[in-house]
Amino acid sequence: MRLPLLLSLFLAVPAFAQLKWDTLEQTVKVKPGDSEAIAKYHFTNVGSKTATIEAVKTSCGCTTAALTKNDYAPGESGEIVARMEIGTRVGHQEKSILVTTKDNPKLPTALRLLADIPEAVVVSPSFVMWSLGEPANPKTIDIKITDGFPAKLLKVDSDNPDIKIEVSEVRPGLEMQVKVTPKNTTRPESATLLVRTDYPTDNPQTYYAYARVK
Amino acid sequence: MTVWRQAGLILLVALGLAGATAAIHPKRPSFLAPPQDPNEVSLAQTKEWGRSVLWVDARSETEFVAEHIPDAICLNFENWNQQFPKFLDHFNPGQRVVVYCSATSCQLSREIAEKLRTSGVADAHYLEGGWEAWKKGQLEGR
Repeated sequence: MRLPLLLSLFLAVPAFAQLKWDTLEQTVKVKPGDSEAIAKYHFTNVGSKTATIEAVKTSCGCTTAALTKNDYAPGESGEIVARMEIGTRVGHQEKSILVTTKDNPKLPTALRLLADIPEAVVVSPSFVMWSLGEPANPKTIDIKITDGFPAKLLKVDSDNPDIKIEVSEVRPGLEMQVKVTPKNTTRPESATLLVRTDYPTDNPQTYYAYARVK
Repeated sequence: MTVWRQAGLILLVALGLAGATAAIHPKRPSFLAPPQDPNEVSLAQTKEWGRSVLWVDARSETEFVAEHIPDAICLNFENWNQQFPKFLDHFNPGQRVVVYCSATSCQLSREIAEKLRTSGVADAHYLEGGWEAWKKGQLEGR
């Protein structure tokens, strides 16, 4: 007699509000030039009473998480939409969204947003440097449009005439090589190289590289 | 059946289910400790490096203004284009750079260190435990 009782206790369905998530982790595919990465986290209240979401917090100011309402009746589903602003972010990104419910305020559910953000324009390296007194030999910066990004490289300018640049096109509009040479290295110099593109057409983006003599 | 036999039976069932989950679940945890990221450094390691380290604070400008490691530069994804030239003014080729953010749970320091490496700063690391570890180290006199 006791075995069925113990087994039923062991297998008992919890009699409280409980959110069941379709997935706790989303990997977002980001294309070069995208401005944000969006992930949706779908859930259902599988408990026997109303679930109240009290707070949704993100691990980064760059990420927002929106919820249409806070209370979910038993069986009702909902969705949290997380948006990560890309800005100058590149490479692997991991952001967390902590969801706290009224029934379990001390144990929030952690949702994860993963994204690998490709660079739209690769400037490598993004700076060159000479020490004072070092021979003023040219150093090279490679600039390349990432495959699939609908931009063209137009030109590169130096904002300091004492740091000269020589630009050669490797693949017209898509790849350039810039040789940077300081006039001399007897005194500190600083230059910003402005890499002009034609995209987007209404506000073409400029990318940057830097040169320093120090 | 005695209570002890019932308890043992339940325990065996639970262990069996747990074992099966551990064996076949696609997201089962690794039983081996994950290898430490070679770019993550401890506070003790940075102390050994001494004053040659260039500190980068990846937190928000508000947090930076409130308090930061002496001589650190505030550099994050929000202010990159404005602050990276300032970083270069302080950086010397071959110098070790250590990035920190709020705490262990914060990923920003790892991401900024990665961006610095792809920008050409070969020796860019991030601090294990972040600002919290630094503060704790200061309080404990480490």
